[in-house]
Amino acid sequence: MSSKINIYLIKYAINSILRQKYKTFFIVTIFTFLVFLLTSIFFITNSIRYELDSTVDALPQIIVQKIKAGRHYDIDVDKVDEILELSGVSDAVARVWGYYYFENAGVNFSVVGIDKYENQYKNSLQSIVNKFDFEESSDEPFMVVGQGVKEVMNSSYFKEYFNFIKPDGTLKKVNIRGVFDSDTQLESNDMIVMSNETIREIFDIDETKATDIVVKVANPQEVSMVASKIKLMLPDSRIITTQDLKISYQNIFDYKSGVFLALFIVSLFTFFIIIYDKSSGLSSEEKREIGILKAIGWRVDDVLKEKFYESFIISFFSYMLGSTLTFAYVYIFQAPVLREIFVGYSQLKTTFELPFIFDLQTLFLVFFISVPVYVAATIIPSWKVATLEADEVIR
Amino acid sequence: MNKKSSYVLYIFLGLFVLFTTQVVYLISMKSMSDEMLQKKITFVEVVGLPDLALSTEATYVRHRSLSDVFSIYKDDGSLREYFPSTFAISHSHIYNKQKGSE
Repeated sequence: MSSKINIYLIKYAINSILRQKYKTFFIVTIFTFLVFLLTSIFFITNSIRYELDSTVDALPQIIVQKIKAGRHYDIDVDKVDEILELSGVSDAVARVWGYYYFENAGVNFSVVGIDKYENQYKNSLQSIVNKFDFEESSDEPFMVVGQGVKEVMNSSYFKEYFNFIKPDGTLKKVNIRGVFDSDTQLESNDMIVMSNETIREIFDIDETKATDIVVKVANPQEVSMVASKIKLMLPDSRIITTQDLKISYQNIFDYKSGVFLALFIVSLFTFFIIIYDKSSGLSSEEKREIGILKAIGWRVDDVLKEKFYESFIISFFSYMLGSTLTFAYVYIFQAPVLREIFVGYSQLKTTFELPFIFDLQTLFLVFFISVPVYVAATIIPSWKVATLEADEVIR
Repeated sequence: MNKKSSYVLYIFLGLFVLFTTQVVYLISMKSMSDEMLQKKITFVEVVGLPDLALSTEATYVRHRSLSDVFSIYKDDGSLREYFPSTFAISHSHIYNKQKGSE
């Protein structure tokens, strides 16, 4: 570690950067934009995945659906008893849920039924619902809705209750008893939770049928075994375990997803073009500069050091600027424009308030695919020129 | 050190300070608190359904990890993937995967 950082070389590099104002400005702008684009997408996807992963273990261990003629079909409630007889199964519950299309606003609500007499639900709901009183007029049908649902209903003047249209065309009035806490908005925005009886009435689902069966297994290591036993017992079923859900979460952003690929390809290509342009040769002015430096006594490694400082200052500055902008863009301004790719055009929009994670891995990844490549692209052509004889270069 | 070089150094320093304050602000204000996480977990336990309410245009986008290839056609036989979100969020591949491994 004998060689110290030569402050004069840094000074020379800074002056050299400032001398070529327009070129520097152009490079910094493009470089910052590329870093910004790449990190934004990485940050958004990482935050979404983090959000999904943090709740995946709260999901039912096994979900049993019935498939008939290649479509999902209502399952018989009797199957619960058969599943309960399997060893290892500690609980199995038939549940009813579905989608209600609210034509007036053109949105789909996800409607979920719960057993309203279960204490466990009562306590849980109280902790996540604003202004919720379970006892109040419990004979009237009620529901708890997500914030997005509440807003859509409000805009259609359903402030206290909502009229569901049943399959036979008659109306079912259900009171709105509470709104889910805004902290859960990414999960609860389009959700409606109501009692099983009400939901059966709205969707006209028979008492003997259910949408699917959720199974609880006492020992987590037995989940796959129990799943295969259920598959053998009910060959017409589709079994989804937590493991499957995790796999599914893992590849949520499949790279068939065109937009991502397009963005990546465009940004990487732009970057490669810049690098190609840089490495294909220095301008005659730059060559002359190196020649003069050599003529007045600079060694090859001095020239290379100076070029290294110059490119590193530019690229590191752009990288820092790009990352700073990304943090503000994604987590403070909630990613305008890019968010549309993820949210789509549905009316039930969430606020897109993603949980912040300081993702060092992404920051390093973007650093290593941008800064060293740029530095190399600047140094290699300079080295080619610097190794030539000074008079040859100046002439 | 001349004037120009010190300006550049100050700009660098300012950027570092901005970056650090921003990260500290985001960590303290925007990261998921334990209370928030607990609420989310409680909600998911009550409802028992996977996936986020980010994209809700079609059923196979809303609960994508419960969907299969056929879910796309369940909504409409001639449905093409024209929702902006389906370009980013693909349907579940669990069904195909299981078929392949059997």
